[in-house]
Amino acid sequence: MKFARFASRALSGLALLATLPFTQAEPLKIGYSDWPGWIAWEIGIKKGWFEDAGVEVDFQWMDYVASMDAYVAGQLDAVCMTNGDALAIGGTGKPSVGIVINDYSNGNDMLVAAPGIDSVSELKGKKIGVEEGFVAHLLALKALESAGLGADDVEWVNVPTNETPQVLATGAVDAIAAWQPNSGQALKTVSGSSPVFTSADAPGIIYDLLYVSSESLEGRRDDWQKVANVWYQIVEYINNENNIDEALEILSARVALSPEEYEPFFKGTKILPLRLAKKVWEDNDSLKSVYGSSRIVNDFNVDQGVYDEALNVESYLDPSFTKAVK
Amino acid sequence: MPSAKPKGPSPFSHWFAIGKPLSPRSRTVLTIFSFIIPLALWSAVSYLPFLWHPDIKLTISAEREGITTIYTRGDHLSREFFPQFEAGVQAENQAVFEARESGEELTPGRRKNLKTLRHISAWGLGNGYLTPNEAKDDKLIYQLWARAAGGDFGTSPKLSPENIKVVKDNWIRIQHIGDKFSSRALPNEALLKLVPQGKRSNPVYLPAPHEVVIAGYYDLFTEQRDPDDPSMWQRALHSMKIVFGGFLLAALVGVPLAVLCGTYDFFSRIFEPFIDFFRYLPAPAFSTLLVAIFLAHDAPKIALVFVGTFFQLVLVVANTTREIDRSLIEASQTLGADQRNILFRVVVPGILPQLYNDLRILLGWAWTWLVIAELIGVKSGLTEFIETQGRWRNFDRVFPVIFLIGFIGFFTDQILSWLRVFLFKWTGETPNAFSRLVASSVSAGPRWFQREVLDQRLDPLAERRNRK
Repeated sequence: MKFARFASRALSGLALLATLPFTQAEPLKIGYSDWPGWIAWEIGIKKGWFEDAGVEVDFQWMDYVASMDAYVAGQLDAVCMTNGDALAIGGTGKPSVGIVINDYSNGNDMLVAAPGIDSVSELKGKKIGVEEGFVAHLLALKALESAGLGADDVEWVNVPTNETPQVLATGAVDAIAAWQPNSGQALKTVSGSSPVFTSADAPGIIYDLLYVSSESLEGRRDDWQKVANVWYQIVEYINNENNIDEALEILSARVALSPEEYEPFFKGTKILPLRLAKKVWEDNDSLKSVYGSSRIVNDFNVDQGVYDEALNVESYLDPSFTKAVK
Repeated sequence: MPSAKPKGPSPFSHWFAIGKPLSPRSRTVLTIFSFIIPLALWSAVSYLPFLWHPDIKLTISAEREGITTIYTRGDHLSREFFPQFEAGVQAENQAVFEARESGEELTPGRRKNLKTLRHISAWGLGNGYLTPNEAKDDKLIYQLWARAAGGDFGTSPKLSPENIKVVKDNWIRIQHIGDKFSSRALPNEALLKLVPQGKRSNPVYLPAPHEVVIAGYYDLFTEQRDPDDPSMWQRALHSMKIVFGGFLLAALVGVPLAVLCGTYDFFSRIFEPFIDFFRYLPAPAFSTLLVAIFLAHDAPKIALVFVGTFFQLVLVVANTTREIDRSLIEASQTLGADQRNILFRVVVPGILPQLYNDLRILLGWAWTWLVIAELIGVKSGLTEFIETQGRWRNFDRVFPVIFLIGFIGFFTDQILSWLRVFLFKWTGETPNAFSRLVASSVSAGPRWFQREVLDQRLDPLAERRNRK
């Protein structure tokens, strides 16, 4: 059986070759964008904690939707997304596994209405500017639902989230849905505008996670564990009041704001300490669980026709990394 | 009957003579005015408050309890909204007073008080008592309170009488801390907040000339806030790399193709109809496609400039080639030149001066694609700066960069136009006065090169003169 031996050797050689890219340890390419829970990664980057932990990372700063596009195109190993958007691009483009829960949105996602509009119900028949199909759209629909309105009761205008402040300022729409710092920029740009609905009115509807592609996760589990460890080093640092000024300095510089403008964001983005994060990882059907929240968004996505069949939510979440954090 | 007085030449007649060129002097004057008039209009709208000024620009600001929208120094508020903002802060101070009178002081804590004290940094910055780098230093901020409490109320902005009272009141409560300032020494009891002050100004998108100059100076000539960001000059180089990269590639492929099309009807018929169609497809429409092919960094941007320039270039240059003097070709054919010789020794040299001009114009065309190109994929270069600062409404920082793009394009073009005269002496042109002025003021180096190298080495007559 000379041939069989030869073939098996050749095959094992090939298998060895195939694993080469993994052993050579290219930096982990991670896309992150302008949401306060994700800007927090900046502290680990600026303080060199990833090098200290012995993991090479290449954090790429992008617009939110652009970062998801880059992830789907295979240019990134991981990307920061909301649990809803992870399902949306999983159903249509590329699945992923959430390994770190950064935060839940506690008011920083907002529906901001032009001056003179003080409640969601007044938006009936008006125009709302959102980036269609993404998290802000979900929030806006939740807001309408809370006022007994449906998606057809308003006119939707598709606007990139980072352009929403300018669009609200021109008066082309009557309200916009966006997250901080864009929503705050809109409030500031249009004197007299007000948030008529925020994620604080529906806590747990939006969780923000680090989602990793399954290929990368399989090949480099240890490295991703190190990334998760660094995250909880960051969380501990931020939650210590003595560090707040230094933290604000690093975080605000990333989005060209001043530290005092940035400070209120902490309130609207609940960055989860390890203890609370472990609770959120527990599987139940309430909004206090990332599983429950994802299932609700899953049904919502099917309703909205983002994809046709409900996805298997469990395969999008992996609590083992958080549990193993040292 | 009184005869009509013969009309003498009016003093303006020579400015408005029909179909006659003005004297060189008058032309220079008008050239200068063409720049001064827009500048004067801009200054008038900026510095004469009665012309427009619908906003209040904050010189001193404060945070309000429970409101997440934080206004800082330099933010614009509408004149209608400002009193509401002011009243909000006044009400908070009033609450502090009332609590004190009732004997139970409010105790917001040291950190809140520290933040309240920091509001004075806006006053320090405006008066030049602090540099932007020092504005975060709490010790210096404490010294500002000492300074204001000592009777120095500043000039721009000057503390309002209401704020002078606030300063004096607060100082009594913090003066015990002294030189060894530490935020732990601050009282827990509420300090008063500075009441917002501001001055009338134009909307944020129309900053005054001096603001643009100052912001431009800081962005171009001082270190940036985040040392990891590229400097403005690095950004400019990056942008030029995109434009020139795309343009040179287009020229490299396009010019030979175009010369063939202009010389042989065969190539013209097989290439030009399609190119003529393709040039109507707008280049930005290809942007997502280009990102998918070339990934997210420089390559898709250069490719976009290429797509935007190439097709235009082929058609323009092919036309130029067709316009070559037929008699030159006929003469060389009579003299027995073969195809190769006609192409390289008659056609190419014959079109060179016009080709140079075409490429100059097409380079300008390539510049127009820059901004769109730099926005696709990972944003980069000058456009990334314009985009981010524009999004944060720092338009005083946006204008200098827009002007910088204009200057780079304008100066390259003027220098190329001035070089043309020396490269193609046989056309007998002289450089126009303006490009000469621009070129001579920015091109000491090339001038030396021209004098020492081009004239000496390349001019056959000079060689002969030197031999004598």
